[in-house]
Amino acid sequence: MTKKLDPTMVLDVRKLYKEFVLHTVDGRTVEALNGISLTVSAGEHVALAGTSGAGKSSLLKSIYRTYKPSSGEVWFQLLDGTFVDLVGLTDAELATLRGTQIGYVSQFLRAAPRRSTFDIVAKSGMQRGMDISTAREAAAIALKKLNLDEALWDVSASVLSGGEKQRINLAAGTISPPRLLLLDEPVSALDPSNREAALELIDTLTHQGVAVLAVFHDIEAMERLATRVIVLQHGVVSYEGSPQQTLAKLAGVAR
Amino acid sequence: MSPIITPEWVLKVDGLGKVFGPFTDESIAKTGSDRGTSKDSTTGSIVAAWDVSFEVAAGEALGVVGESGSGKSTVMRCIAGDQSTSVGSVHLRNIDGGNTNILHMSASTRRQLRIDQIAVVYQDPAEGLDLRVTAGGNIAAPLTAAGLRNFGAIRHRASELLSRTEVPLNRMDDVVRSFSGGMRQRVQLAKALANRPPIVLLDEPTTGLDASVAAGVLDLIRGLLEEFGLAAVVVSHDFSVIEMLTTRCIVMNHGRVVESALTDQLLEDPHHPYSQKLVSAARS
Repeated sequence: MTKKLDPTMVLDVRKLYKEFVLHTVDGRTVEALNGISLTVSAGEHVALAGTSGAGKSSLLKSIYRTYKPSSGEVWFQLLDGTFVDLVGLTDAELATLRGTQIGYVSQFLRAAPRRSTFDIVAKSGMQRGMDISTAREAAAIALKKLNLDEALWDVSASVLSGGEKQRINLAAGTISPPRLLLLDEPVSALDPSNREAALELIDTLTHQGVAVLAVFHDIEAMERLATRVIVLQHGVVSYEGSPQQTLAKLAGVAR
Repeated sequence: MSPIITPEWVLKVDGLGKVFGPFTDESIAKTGSDRGTSKDSTTGSIVAAWDVSFEVAAGEALGVVGESGSGKSTVMRCIAGDQSTSVGSVHLRNIDGGNTNILHMSASTRRQLRIDQIAVVYQDPAEGLDLRVTAGGNIAAPLTAAGLRNFGAIRHRASELLSRTEVPLNRMDDVVRSFSGGMRQRVQLAKALANRPPIVLLDEPTTGLDASVAAGVLDLIRGLLEEFGLAAVVVSHDFSVIEMLTTRCIVMNHGRVVESALTDQLLEDPHHPYSQKLVSAARS
């Protein structure tokens, strides 16, 4: 189950397929991914582009295994340099990796209700192996970096605005930088100044060597952060290149 | 050997099966999710649970979901020793290093396990508590069973536990029958934790409570699981409970495990037709 691959890669996705079989709708099938292959290296920020329904979110969920891939391989390099295929791991193994080496931040906050903002972020740090005082310190730093008003720190996150929740989500997902960070529209509800702080945070992580695979709905964010852009269409990679080339091409299509 | 080091199991259930009535291989073949029944039409035997296997580590909660009658409570009762088991094995890390199948132990030895190894929280507090006895008295029972004799020490520990589960201490000497449903569950939790068992089994712990009361009990359970690093099995038909407490799940239907998955995967990408039906019913 382990493999020696290109040591600069953190993520090496090979011919990934995801098909949903809807037993409640006469066993109809829906294809989300049709054989996607891509790589992400340490310190690289790969942005996924494409129209809605192209498979961007499905790809992130299939890597994180919120979706179980139908076939293909998702090689991930562990801290000790060995590669494991995430598709073949047991649920318990995957749960362990999620807690420590793989982060996933979506546009929605996924946290137990009635839990305070600060607690959510600090707990995430503890889950990643920090002791309680380090985690509390790191949580305070992360929330400050994202300009989350201190008056909201002890408030239950469920009563906060969408933009505030997104910042909590980002703080929790990045408190102890994972090796691989999957981002799905993490700043979609943020106003310009808070958005800037969030993008700054993500950019810093990339420079610290985190491998980032991200979906942003705005081209500006991609231009600013991405080291490479991959365009998806109907569940396959249709184009791949530098942000300048790719985004110009996309803009041309849009025009 | 996997290069990923996962926490060691503290509870391991392997091939567990419970049949009410005589059974043969044929009974097994004629029942289950595929057959749409747990009853053997020839003999009338009920295959309540069959071939159930899972492991739970410290600090981890495993969900068991399914409709009523799917066999989830049977599994729990077999592990707890409330019910005899037909086949299979249950191992606890703390007992003989996990080498002994506790299902082969004598009834009295198994009852001992309930004092400080496996705690159970039932949906109906009347099952876990003596309603005619005070809250303090209910908690004193497992403490004295564990060998605590000093009255003051027992009182002290009971009040500690009750304040941890947010039961007002001025109610400590009231009989549990006078308590509300939510408060009874809190006393049950205090009793369950009395001797700091490594394993807790929760059977629909918030079912039947008002939404606001259930939310409070659920928050408490989540806090306790984290604080004590318990290995928990959470039996529930309520996906919001499962989502909040567990990281992994098994889905049961007609006595069989039809799917096991990470909890978020079960909710977003259920595979088995029965799981899909269950999730879409809960989420619509």
